[in-house]
Amino acid sequence: MMKTSSRWSGIGFQTLAVLLALAFTTVVMLISGADPIQVYQNIISGALGSPTKIADILVAWTPLLLATAGLLLTFTAGLWNIGIEGQITLGAIFTTWALRLLQPTDLPPTLIMTIGFVAGALGGMIWAALVGLLKIYGNVNEIFGGLGLNFVATALTIWLIFGPWKRPGVGSMSGTEPFPLELWLPTLSGFRLSPLALAMGIIAIAIVYILLRGTYFGLRLKAVGRNGRAAFLMGIPTTRYMLMAFLLCGLMAGLAGATQVLAVYHRLIPSISSGYGFLGMMVAMLVNYQALWAAPVALFFAALNIGSIQLPIVLKLDSSLSGVLQGSLVLFVLLMDGVRRRLTRNQ
Amino acid sequence: MKVELIHIHKHFGAVHANNDINLTVESGKIQGILGENGAGKSTLMKILSGYIQADSGEIRLDGKPVKINSPSDAIRLGIGMLHQDPLDFPPMRVVDNLLIGHDGSLFPNRREVVRAFNELQNQFGFSIDPYAYVDTLTVGERQQLEILRLLWLGARVLILDEPTTGISASQKEKLFETLRRLAAQGMSVIFVSHKLEDVEFLCDRIAVFRKGELVGEVNPPYVTDELVKMMFGRVISLEEKRRYETCDVSFHLDHVTIEDYRLQIRDINLSVSCGEVIGLAGMEGSGQVQFLRTCAGLMRPVAGEINLGGRRLTGKPYRAFLEAGIAYVPASRMEEGLIPGLSLTEHFILAEEQNGFFINFDKALATTRQRIEDFNIKGTPVSTVESLSGGNQQRALLAMLRHPVNLLLLEHPTRGLDIESAIWIWGKLKERCKQGTSIIFTSADLEEILQYSDRILVFYGGKVSPPIDAESTTVEQLGQLIGGKGF
Amino acid sequence: MKSKRIWFVLSFVLLLTLLMSACQPAATPTQAPQPTQPPAEPQPTQPPAEPQPTQPPAEPEEFIFGMLLVGPYNDRGWSQAHYDAGLYVEEKVPGAKLIYIDKVNPADRPGTTPEQLAEDLLSKGAKLIIFNSDDMKDGAINFARAHPDVPVIHASGDTSWKEGVNYIEFPKFGNTMGRMEYGKMIAGCAAALTTKTGQIGYLGPLINDETRRLTASAYLGAKYCYEKYAGKNPADLKFKVTWIGFWFNIPGFTADPTQVADDFLNSGYDVVISGIDTTEALVQASKARAAGKEVWAIPYDYEGACAEAPEVCLGVPYFNWGPAYLRAVEQVKAGTFQSYFEWLGPDWTDINNHDTSAVGFVFGDALSADAKANVEKFIAELAGGLNLFVGPLNYQDGTPFLAEGEVATDLQVWYLPQLLEGMEGQSVPSE
Repeated sequence: MMKTSSRWSGIGFQTLAVLLALAFTTVVMLISGADPIQVYQNIISGALGSPTKIADILVAWTPLLLATAGLLLTFTAGLWNIGIEGQITLGAIFTTWALRLLQPTDLPPTLIMTIGFVAGALGGMIWAALVGLLKIYGNVNEIFGGLGLNFVATALTIWLIFGPWKRPGVGSMSGTEPFPLELWLPTLSGFRLSPLALAMGIIAIAIVYILLRGTYFGLRLKAVGRNGRAAFLMGIPTTRYMLMAFLLCGLMAGLAGATQVLAVYHRLIPSISSGYGFLGMMVAMLVNYQALWAAPVALFFAALNIGSIQLPIVLKLDSSLSGVLQGSLVLFVLLMDGVRRRLTRNQ
Repeated sequence: MKVELIHIHKHFGAVHANNDINLTVESGKIQGILGENGAGKSTLMKILSGYIQADSGEIRLDGKPVKINSPSDAIRLGIGMLHQDPLDFPPMRVVDNLLIGHDGSLFPNRREVVRAFNELQNQFGFSIDPYAYVDTLTVGERQQLEILRLLWLGARVLILDEPTTGISASQKEKLFETLRRLAAQGMSVIFVSHKLEDVEFLCDRIAVFRKGELVGEVNPPYVTDELVKMMFGRVISLEEKRRYETCDVSFHLDHVTIEDYRLQIRDINLSVSCGEVIGLAGMEGSGQVQFLRTCAGLMRPVAGEINLGGRRLTGKPYRAFLEAGIAYVPASRMEEGLIPGLSLTEHFILAEEQNGFFINFDKALATTRQRIEDFNIKGTPVSTVESLSGGNQQRALLAMLRHPVNLLLLEHPTRGLDIESAIWIWGKLKERCKQGTSIIFTSADLEEILQYSDRILVFYGGKVSPPIDAESTTVEQLGQLIGGKGF
Repeated sequence: MKSKRIWFVLSFVLLLTLLMSACQPAATPTQAPQPTQPPAEPQPTQPPAEPQPTQPPAEPEEFIFGMLLVGPYNDRGWSQAHYDAGLYVEEKVPGAKLIYIDKVNPADRPGTTPEQLAEDLLSKGAKLIIFNSDDMKDGAINFARAHPDVPVIHASGDTSWKEGVNYIEFPKFGNTMGRMEYGKMIAGCAAALTTKTGQIGYLGPLINDETRRLTASAYLGAKYCYEKYAGKNPADLKFKVTWIGFWFNIPGFTADPTQVADDFLNSGYDVVISGIDTTEALVQASKARAAGKEVWAIPYDYEGACAEAPEVCLGVPYFNWGPAYLRAVEQVKAGTFQSYFEWLGPDWTDINNHDTSAVGFVFGDALSADAKANVEKFIAELAGGLNLFVGPLNYQDGTPFLAEGEVATDLQVWYLPQLLEGMEGQSVPSE
């Protein structure tokens, strides 16, 4: 009926939100005494200045895609899986564990790395299952459960790095002993980008897109998320679906952790999740939980992260400026959405 | 204080909750307000006590027109309202509760307050410890406290909304005594209730509300039948009933006891035949919903057996009931029945048996078109359910029911619908009955119950009447039972 | 309903933002020196160039060099010492320009690697990249692998030390480290000459070769001065190390350095030597002093550290990286930069000479005149060739380390596997 007009007004408000976010960030820059044009130029050149930079964007895109893909499932089920950071971390821990165990064996490196991925996925799933079980059987809200488990995951990482898995004679923030070169996921020569990891990220988001769009599973998940009570009365086993959403999200988060270990850091470091979980939540919220838009927006966020690295070198600005832009984008888009709703309701 | 309500109108959306209400309450009198749920009693009282504002009309106190824009306006003018759930602040002490809302100095004199409080409560024979925590008081004591607090704040008109729910018999006695004494002191008391016996026993005058209108006022001596008739409207002649024979898949409740935190209903026995319709009557909150949910497998009975066609369902999970062919249609359509944001097509897909992993949208679309036509739903396959009107939502809910259903449990199946839709929906339901589906439903509308039920259960204060044959009863009889007479 | 949800989401995003930013400072490390390996030779293995910037031609040609700092550039600790050295080079070499990225650690810059950041410096024109922390060892190596032609310095590393266990051959990979052992010996001496209770506490970071070595050095300095200048029996000197577990406080993981310092001060240890990056020892001593206790402390890393509580500060041993970086820049400019490893001692003619001395010691106001005179004598002895790593010395468990008259090699000092006999505290991290 009024579909088209509401779509156009939607786009109008979204554009307004983006402009407001840019304006807000610009004000922040002006307050901190920077020349905004120079800043934006630097971000763009820092992100797209060379093939290496573009490859680096894709390196950051991979775990972000995985995390976002998983989060789309939990969001669809109406769950705030803030524990995703811990799930990524556990994935990384399990991958590291598997590699440490198998490294001395004669198994071919490819097999070891494959097992590493499986272990990572398992680690993420275990951590996600804990959040889910706490919610379903312990009546602990997933936000608090996830938050707690994030802390536990961090503590566990630090304990492992400084304790059982420390480098011989050393305890250092730099993490565990790096794995030998043959256990590094192969990269495009001259770049840090692993095509395999990238493919995994793209496949994950594609799977989620299909799941949510054309399957009974996706539709039921949607029903559970939008009205759990009604879904239950319709005969959908809501707790099972919630748990599945957690498990799948944990799986993808775990894979994100595994790629961080196998393709980026080649060891376990204290903040291995690199904040991709929280960033993924922002992406998911920004795209209003639609899988189709998640990939490009995640790419944009990754580009912002890479582009802002140069800010401190040239302009003595903190790189967290990109975080300001990302955060304000999400806030303004949500705010505009609320404003639009209010206006249309009053009409 | 004399209270006059003149030409009060209030709309909520399409509902005319108060339609030109004129009511005068003399000082020193206890005015009863009687009516079934949703008759507009509470709306009027909320207008008087400032919680909501009338669309039009005037309020006069002792002949002077006043504007009441908030509860604090009301209490300043001397109008205090006692709610169904007294609005206190549980984790604090009685004395602090009194201090709140009492504008005085920044550092109130607690000892003085306690002294005055004790003096006040002695007048009424209450004995509340001023230093007790409010959440340790019984419902009755909280009520007493709330009355004292309102008096303390200077109330000269006291409004009580269903005050006898949840208190003991002796507390009720004390409450009535207190109210009489307050009236004797010149206070105006407005006593809102649906309980015939309470109103008849206590009030100097009764105003009866029905469907947003003040139907009439009655002075003692009261004739119960007359009151019931006023409450529920005139009796409509009932359509002829068909009888259905018992069959193999009849539904049985055997010595079932239901219990939740508010009420307990003991020893319910019921056998429902195929195609039979059972209506559940009673004031809202008397246990009908609990009863329905027990039949649906959503609540476990604490004792007794449930079975359907010889299959024992006692203690089984909801899904087992569902698989046995028991379907439950809740009253709150958007909260419990439908899923906002999803389209009609998606709803029908969800309601169907899963067929493979991927959804066949073409097929689903065809099914949806068919259902939309069959059930006369005004909407398209891509319409989201929240964009539908209430009647169409209800049709959609019924259209989602699978075939065959052995027992259909309906909560207020026609609530909020226009007459046309209601009749249409019952037509559909009766079709199902012909195919052997049994129905148990609740309704606030006695006429609906009488018209469509074969047998009727009346719920009152934790009790259930034995099944009453709908043909051999009348609105008056039912009304008395609903009001608690005859149990 | 809807608007409620919006508000929930909004507040959630805010919370998220707070969380993300809150998580970061928690781990902001003011990374300390971690020369896990720097071994032997007291004299630079390679650098042949003159330390003085004598030859710059008239027109200053721009020369950009880049630095990755593990902590904030103004951390009053390890990273600031490097940053100041960069400014020193800028001052000495006309046209030289420092570009840097600070807070290079996974907590502050999630999702980045040091080599990636080094490439950013490279793309901004840097001709020399300095990695300032042991934490960046892997990053430095990865970067050198990808860019073998770009001169790299990894401070505190040992990659280019041929005798070291981690040697990797690179054409242009320098390692530099100061001989802080001397600084710690002087600190130990000052502590021994000040203590009235005969009990010295050492607030240790994590346990590794370097920290064992430095702690042992402090003990040797203390023991020597206690006997020689205070004239007391060194067997009566109590020297206890408590390790907190890392270079700075990570709540929940490390022992709280504030607590550890207080425990020392409340149980008769009247001098606390700090081995960690932050100044808890000094701060707590100052508080105890204000409460009437006669106590002192010795901070670490940064020349200006005493300023925080001069009334209890006996002095501070510090690093001076300027001369080493200046040399490297000169070599890069001259095209003579090659891989080298250096472990630089103080300039004994003036250990606080910023142009020549790699490590120094600044006296604090709280050191008495008598003690100061004796510490100066001790420094003179060290300058004259006094070596405290001479036998007979036993390991903490009583097994012999050095026989009578035997002088420890740099390798032995570097890889000190245990604390020494007479020291209290853990030698090896518990498993």
